[in-house]
Amino acid sequence: MNAVIDTQDRAEVRRLRYETKQRAFLKTLVSPHVIEEHRRSPIGQHSEPLERLLAYFRRRPLAGRYAIMVVKPFEAYRLVQLSGERGVPPAPSDETIYRSQAEAEHAIFLRNVQTLLT
Amino acid sequence: MAQVKLFGYADKISVKPGEVIQFYVNADGTDAADAQLVRLIHGDNHPDGPGFVEQEVPSAIDGIWRVEKQYTQIGSFLEVPDPQRRLALGGSLTLFAFIHPLWPQVGHRQFLLGRWDNDKNVGFGLGIKPNGLLEFWVGRGDEVDYVEAEVPLRANMWYFVAASLDAATGRATLYQEGVVNRYNSVLGKVTPLDLRSHVAESFRFRQKHLDDTPFLMAGSRDWHDRRGDFVSQLYCGKIDRPGLFDRVLSRAELDAIRSGGVPPSDGMVAYWDTTDGYTDQGIGDVVTDIGPHKLHANGYNRPVRAQTGWNWSGRNDCFRLAPEEYGGVEFHADALIDCKWKPTKALLLADDLRSGAYAIRLRGGGGTGLGEEYIPFFVRPKQPTGRIAFLIPTASYLAYANEHLSFDAPIVQGMSGMTPILTDIDIEMYKNPEFGHGCYDSWADGQGVCYSSYHRPVINMRPKYRISSMDITWQYPADLSVIAWLEHMQYDYDVLTDEDLDREGVSALSPYPCVLSGTHPEYYSERMMDATEDYIEGGGRYIYLGANGYYWHVAFRDDEPWGLECRKLGDGWKAWEARPGEHYIGTTGQKGGPWKCLGRPPQKIMGVGFVSEGFGTSAPFERMPDSYEPSLAWITDGIEGDVIGDFGLSYGGAAGVEIDKYDLSLGTPPNTKVIASSGGHTDNYLTHGQLQLHQHPGTSGSWDHRVGADITYFPAPNDGAVLSCSSIAFGQALPVNGFDNNVSRLLANVINAFIKPGPLPDSSERAAEPEDVLVT
Repeated sequence: MNAVIDTQDRAEVRRLRYETKQRAFLKTLVSPHVIEEHRRSPIGQHSEPLERLLAYFRRRPLAGRYAIMVVKPFEAYRLVQLSGERGVPPAPSDETIYRSQAEAEHAIFLRNVQTLLT
Repeated sequence: MAQVKLFGYADKISVKPGEVIQFYVNADGTDAADAQLVRLIHGDNHPDGPGFVEQEVPSAIDGIWRVEKQYTQIGSFLEVPDPQRRLALGGSLTLFAFIHPLWPQVGHRQFLLGRWDNDKNVGFGLGIKPNGLLEFWVGRGDEVDYVEAEVPLRANMWYFVAASLDAATGRATLYQEGVVNRYNSVLGKVTPLDLRSHVAESFRFRQKHLDDTPFLMAGSRDWHDRRGDFVSQLYCGKIDRPGLFDRVLSRAELDAIRSGGVPPSDGMVAYWDTTDGYTDQGIGDVVTDIGPHKLHANGYNRPVRAQTGWNWSGRNDCFRLAPEEYGGVEFHADALIDCKWKPTKALLLADDLRSGAYAIRLRGGGGTGLGEEYIPFFVRPKQPTGRIAFLIPTASYLAYANEHLSFDAPIVQGMSGMTPILTDIDIEMYKNPEFGHGCYDSWADGQGVCYSSYHRPVINMRPKYRISSMDITWQYPADLSVIAWLEHMQYDYDVLTDEDLDREGVSALSPYPCVLSGTHPEYYSERMMDATEDYIEGGGRYIYLGANGYYWHVAFRDDEPWGLECRKLGDGWKAWEARPGEHYIGTTGQKGGPWKCLGRPPQKIMGVGFVSEGFGTSAPFERMPDSYEPSLAWITDGIEGDVIGDFGLSYGGAAGVEIDKYDLSLGTPPNTKVIASSGGHTDNYLTHGQLQLHQHPGTSGSWDHRVGADITYFPAPNDGAVLSCSSIAFGQALPVNGFDNNVSRLLANVINAFIKPGPLPDSSERAAEPEDVLVT
């Protein structure tokens, strides 16, 4: 017997099904109010709709997840995306400069919302 | 022009005037660096504080250093010194081992054991092909003959593998059998797997040997034009009881070894008994050859010992109970204990050098970015003279050394509630495995990193560094804010390190009336715990200036204090989890895990222990009724109002990041008073599992009254006392407003009382009062 063991991870099937439903639900939470709430306070205590959106965005696969790169400490930042692959550095997202961590956080939020809605 | 990059480390972390410290520097893009000894005062560039502060201190080695490119051997392996070349078998041979591959299809060939030159294709070896197939080969330089298995090895399964060559006939055989039991592998007996493969080929020629090829396990000899000899084909996995014979072992003989039998003596050249050498106090890096020539193998980059072997039965949870079941020696292709660079410069410390935090500052190119490097160390006094000892938590610096959380930990953004903020140095570390990892990481093969060391550049043990996943100073640069405060307040203080405490015990602390901890003294050896407890019991006055301290049980080696061992398990929040059966520290033989699980919660000596952590926001403390007790008025003397610390460099409050709490059930001394407490933390602060054994909704900051920090005070025997500040953010509140603030005032009040000779201010009132009686 040289049994061939299929190593496709069936948990992925369920994860993708969950993702589809969860994204449909999360889309209903996006509103001008939530976006304004995040702009005012990207870090800290949030309303439930905003916190649900953030919790989802923060748990995306590492590959492609956004991070903030310091251009000048406390003064200038830009966005990068993680590789998700050991030893491979993040890739620049674009050249836009943000003047604060809060601005950069909000830019990431808007991009994540955009991706969710498309 | 190439970018200038400078990195370095020192051989010691704690030195005294009159001693010599050795520096090791790697340079890219330059052959010269401008060196200057500096005393470090403040390391946080947050705009609400004093910014980075250093003082240049003239030394004999200031000036231009010649620097060069250095090379680092990563990966753990075993090397067998064999001056008489007994292992350079030219005729018939058999190699065998039990193996437990962690990543058989890593994408490069992994060497298991043999005498093989990977550059010149000379010798013999047993290994794993990039596609996961077991392979045996011999080489004579111009050609290589090989035989490979039919079935790829699977990760996290135990096998017995062997290869033989009959020199007379050229017949080469490969032997692969699974040795799975109910406990030892990731899959059990119900999985319909056939792990076996038996293959034979005829080899056209016999192996040749080069004189200087070492016999290695878990790696093979290689060559690079600039670097010279090094080891490649590094293996990820365990090897248990390997051997080498100068004859062909029959199938029946190999079956007998596979079943646990003792190998025959006839033809035995070497048999490394990986279970030999265990003591009640742990095990070292030497693997014993119990064969005729005693060719013991030396571990490089510390292969992990005290690991379960192929025959682990599940009954015994420690090598001390059944060493014969703990033959697994575990190797990782990206392990690093010591860069072993060529020495660059040494400094004889001047006799008049004042105790403090020092560094060699190196600048090359423009002297900015990666062209600037600080190699830190701490100077103790020749003889203790200060009234205060600032105990630098270097064990915790090691545990966090070069952590990769922002890049590799999927949980970190959910945990921190924020996006990582990366700098060039983070990217540089991530790109280069030569920086090694910390105890918050896993090796690339997925196993948790249980060793750390400062014999390598540690990028987060540097001034100005901000932990990227949380965007605050953490450990070393955060503790510099305490140094800055001591300097500003002009206190007479000395520094010493965890390493000193571990080696010297309570005598390292006892000369000082008052000891001040760092902001996050999380990792403690038993000797450090004992010394701290004895110091307080003996009348010492201790200020625990942080939170989540005295939490993990770790160990240093007596002879190699630059290395730390940490096994993560138990009810703590943990970045990884030690496997079943591997919960004991190989360095000492003691059980690892949280001190609370060993019967010594931090509350027993400090009055408080870890309750919660959260990021992005901190909160202020509010004074509690005990602070208004007349006998304790000295603690808050001069503080107006109820609020303490509504400011700070760590998220704008003195209570935050990680916080501790008073808990009578976990051993807080019943005479402890709560001076101030925090509340109103966000839901990013979760109640720790040590308090909330079963998870359910509603146990985070805005829901649960337990999520808060308690500043506590209790008098101890012999006029001793403990003040616990219970928040990592507490130290980062000290520098705000030019150090003129109510957090600074509270700390100064207590230190002034603690360093004053004679009884504590509240002692006379205590003598007049009846003892506290617990009513709960």
